[in-house]
Amino acid sequence: MANLEIDKREFDQLVGESIDNQKMIEEGSMLGAHWHRIEGNVCEVETYPNRPDLLSVEGLARAYRGFFDIDTGREKYDIQKGDLKVEVDESVEDVRPHIGGAVVRGLELSKKKINGLIQLQEKMHETMGRRRDKLAIGLHDLSTVEAPFTYKAVEPEKVSFKPLEYDKHMQLGEILDEHEKGQKYAWILEDEDRYPIIEDSEGKVLSFPPIINNQLTEVDSETTDIFIDVTGKHRETVMKALNILTTALSERGGQIESVTVDGEKMPDLTPEEMELDIEYFRDISGLDLEPEEIVKRLEMMKHEAKKKGDKIKVKIPAYRNDIIHQYDLIEEVVIAHRYDNIEPEVPEVDQMASVKPIQDFADRIRDVMTGAGALEANTFYLSSKEKIFEMMEIEENEVAEVANASGEEQEVVRNWLLPSLFQTLHDNRHHSYPQTFFEVSDVVELDNSRVGASNKKKMAYIVTGNEKDYTDARAILQVLERDLGLEFDVQEKYRSCFKESRSAAVYFKDKRVGIIGEFSEEVIENWELSYPAAGLELDVEKILELKE
Amino acid sequence: MKLSSQAIDILEQLKKHGRRTVEELENEGFDQSMVNRAAIELQDKGLAEVEEEETVTRYLTETGKKVAAEGSPEHKLIERVEEGDKSLSKLQDLNLDVALGKARQKNWIEIQGGSVALTDKGKNALEEDDLKKRLNEEDFMQVHEDRGLVEAEIEVTRILVLTEKGEDLELEKVEEDFNVEAQVQTPRIGKKHFYKEILDFAQEKFVEMGFQEMTGDFIVPSFLNFDALYTAQDHPARDLHDTFFMKTPEKSDLSEYGDKVQHVKETHEDGWTTGSKGWGYDWSEQEASRNVLRTHTTAVSARRLHEIDINEEELPKKLFCIGRNFRNETVDRTHLPGFIQLDGIVVGKNLNYRNLKGYLSEFFEKMGYEEFRLIPSYYPYTEMSTEVQVYDEEEDEWLGMGGAGLFRPEVVKPMLGFEATVLAWGLGLGRVAMKAAEIEDIRELYRNDIEILEETPKWRPHNGGEQ
Repeated sequence: MANLEIDKREFDQLVGESIDNQKMIEEGSMLGAHWHRIEGNVCEVETYPNRPDLLSVEGLARAYRGFFDIDTGREKYDIQKGDLKVEVDESVEDVRPHIGGAVVRGLELSKKKINGLIQLQEKMHETMGRRRDKLAIGLHDLSTVEAPFTYKAVEPEKVSFKPLEYDKHMQLGEILDEHEKGQKYAWILEDEDRYPIIEDSEGKVLSFPPIINNQLTEVDSETTDIFIDVTGKHRETVMKALNILTTALSERGGQIESVTVDGEKMPDLTPEEMELDIEYFRDISGLDLEPEEIVKRLEMMKHEAKKKGDKIKVKIPAYRNDIIHQYDLIEEVVIAHRYDNIEPEVPEVDQMASVKPIQDFADRIRDVMTGAGALEANTFYLSSKEKIFEMMEIEENEVAEVANASGEEQEVVRNWLLPSLFQTLHDNRHHSYPQTFFEVSDVVELDNSRVGASNKKKMAYIVTGNEKDYTDARAILQVLERDLGLEFDVQEKYRSCFKESRSAAVYFKDKRVGIIGEFSEEVIENWELSYPAAGLELDVEKILELKE
Repeated sequence: MKLSSQAIDILEQLKKHGRRTVEELENEGFDQSMVNRAAIELQDKGLAEVEEEETVTRYLTETGKKVAAEGSPEHKLIERVEEGDKSLSKLQDLNLDVALGKARQKNWIEIQGGSVALTDKGKNALEEDDLKKRLNEEDFMQVHEDRGLVEAEIEVTRILVLTEKGEDLELEKVEEDFNVEAQVQTPRIGKKHFYKEILDFAQEKFVEMGFQEMTGDFIVPSFLNFDALYTAQDHPARDLHDTFFMKTPEKSDLSEYGDKVQHVKETHEDGWTTGSKGWGYDWSEQEASRNVLRTHTTAVSARRLHEIDINEEELPKKLFCIGRNFRNETVDRTHLPGFIQLDGIVVGKNLNYRNLKGYLSEFFEKMGYEEFRLIPSYYPYTEMSTEVQVYDEEEDEWLGMGGAGLFRPEVVKPMLGFEATVLAWGLGLGRVAMKAAEIEDIRELYRNDIEILEETPKWRPHNGGEQ
């Protein structure tokens, strides 16, 4: 998502009429760009990554012209034949293979408009361009260089120029090391030994994509003619970006002129054609619109649309890169129709509701436990090895580990619940005693499934306070036995988190299903508690399985 | 004057000592709840007053101790950058998320792509690790608490103080009485967690609407979490900074999905037979097999589509899932590495967008929200992608409750094996829970503070969910 700042006066001017601020805030978001705030002339607008064509005031104005029914239908941009050529040297093949170029002439640029262009360029770099890796854009004052241009890859020390923002000649390698933009984007060229440049017929560098342009070609308020270059790793993305930029500049009153890149004429603003099946539209949207109404709504979204038999032929503007299926056209119609105007309808679907038996069992345990006077805890699933092993005084065992945890507390997915309940007691030390907590929840255990791990439902109980001991945990186990209709067998078995003689394993139908005990002084101390504690943990899933 | 026997006993103590803390009285053998009751009674009669003294002790948490000893992650970062490790790949040994986040917040660095550069502010900060210094000098600030470096413990001492009227009252003239009007101590009882109760209620509503529960594991292959949901492999959501990838178990065997792996591949590359153009890139099975902690319960919905197909279940089907999800976030007042999502899908041949709006409006009506609306939004796996908002009357604002849409054909056909309409939504009720418990720090949803658990009333929609 991208946050834009645009000027309301410019927006109104481009739309062709002044739109009430209140209306923009209330209805503007219904197009799919959120209008958060308008203060004075500054509008804060948030757009989604599927619509890079909305990243400029020009693009937004174009879209709302249609959406508010001011000027609908597809914009036709006139391209004049130009003679500028860009040769593509095969040396770029492995570095950054694709380049698009176009010229826009006759612009009148102010500082504000240039800032808008920079914003568009930067937002496109960040979103569609995946931080300049997938695509990078250069805008150049055409009067400073001589065609034809060459796009090629060169050795870093062979070429130097004066980059933007720096007042000295630098070699490409130096730019990566020293220039702020070089440092920021050097990672894109990390594995390359040759770097891409665009140079003119006299060997003057226009640009070192995706890093920085030459100061020489910097666009300022005197500039009238611009050469646009877009380079990148994905041809279609590069071409779409070129279309977005040239049409935005054309919205500004510029005249687009074609450029021949490696023998191919650009930009190609031929609309893509797609057919929308009227019945399919009605089935999916649930809206019983007449063909003319569908056409009208597509035009409000700035498409060209015409009914042809039981289909609508749609010509999609060349700056849109998000219409890849008929479904997307359906969305276009529904957006123009407005979600608010859709009557909700619940269909007749006969189906018996159900919850999983394990959830139902878990809920019964929760009822029993609250009846027994315990508070239910809701704890974090991620934890640290320190908390689930060391502080519990048990040996490290198999546990699901996160590869890129941002902190120690997110290092592992817990494989038992009692440490989480100790955390809860630790966090409640300032409250009065006794305290009892339980949780019925999932842990993750490694196994030999295809994923290598699965969730397991467990329940745990803990009690702490003056004179609390093993018998308090045992009492709860007996409550569970009685109220759930189970019969447990408790056998003394030492587990190192418990006191030696107050530690047992819980069996159900001869299978081990849990542990119960009074915690050792070390564990109590590790969690900085001041009273003894006892608890139990049961494998709820296994118990339910055996029970049935 | 009439007083209960307990109040007479405590009054006697106070007349002897003038003032007594609750703890002192307990040590003298009086039961805590009895002392509290007596205190209320004496206060009502104007014979004693209860004073509260708060002592706040602040101490370093485990993370805090580490920072105090070794220095703050952000300072370590700028030191390393100053030493020449500018590339993120060289800084991986640091606690990078926290370090970058905080250094950025303090305007110490500028970073984009793989390289970090110090700002002037950052250069100035090099000289001394201010945070480390403050922690060592115990000069604690609120920001330290917010970052979880420092924890505050508040201890309240309650003291009963005799009033003048109490002093003047002659004990011999007091009649013993049973006071039915006096408040007593509220007992600590068993209680469900407020957040889980809200989720229980929501579950009940889905059940009322005839939905069947689906469940799934936290650890899933990227295939289920992303690829099956038509999320391109270079989509920013698949970044290390957003998603937890697993070290153990690192990879999944995708063979259980059979041909579907190939179909998903082709769908991404050129649309396969879904009628789509696809994303146009070379899809990697290797990447799809990497395990992640699911970032949304939509991964469960994706798997369920596959199960419907292999079990030849009949359509239509209405399914829901309430479960935990994970995002690689640094924990603070407004961010958690996990959240709970309510997913729903309705799979059928004759379903449409109006039906999606129908189910959602029915659900939110049951949850007590009379007005709800859909705003265009974007998710790679839905079309008619919308944000779901409800109108909160008390706050007079629209609240975002999650996202919804129809699963794209690029999701449905490869995973379900045939074409159908799938209505889908993923909702969050965390804000409802925070409002119910009157908390502003999102961490409190998982901290289980006894007072918050006890004081939060059992949740029901403000209008009782009546329709």
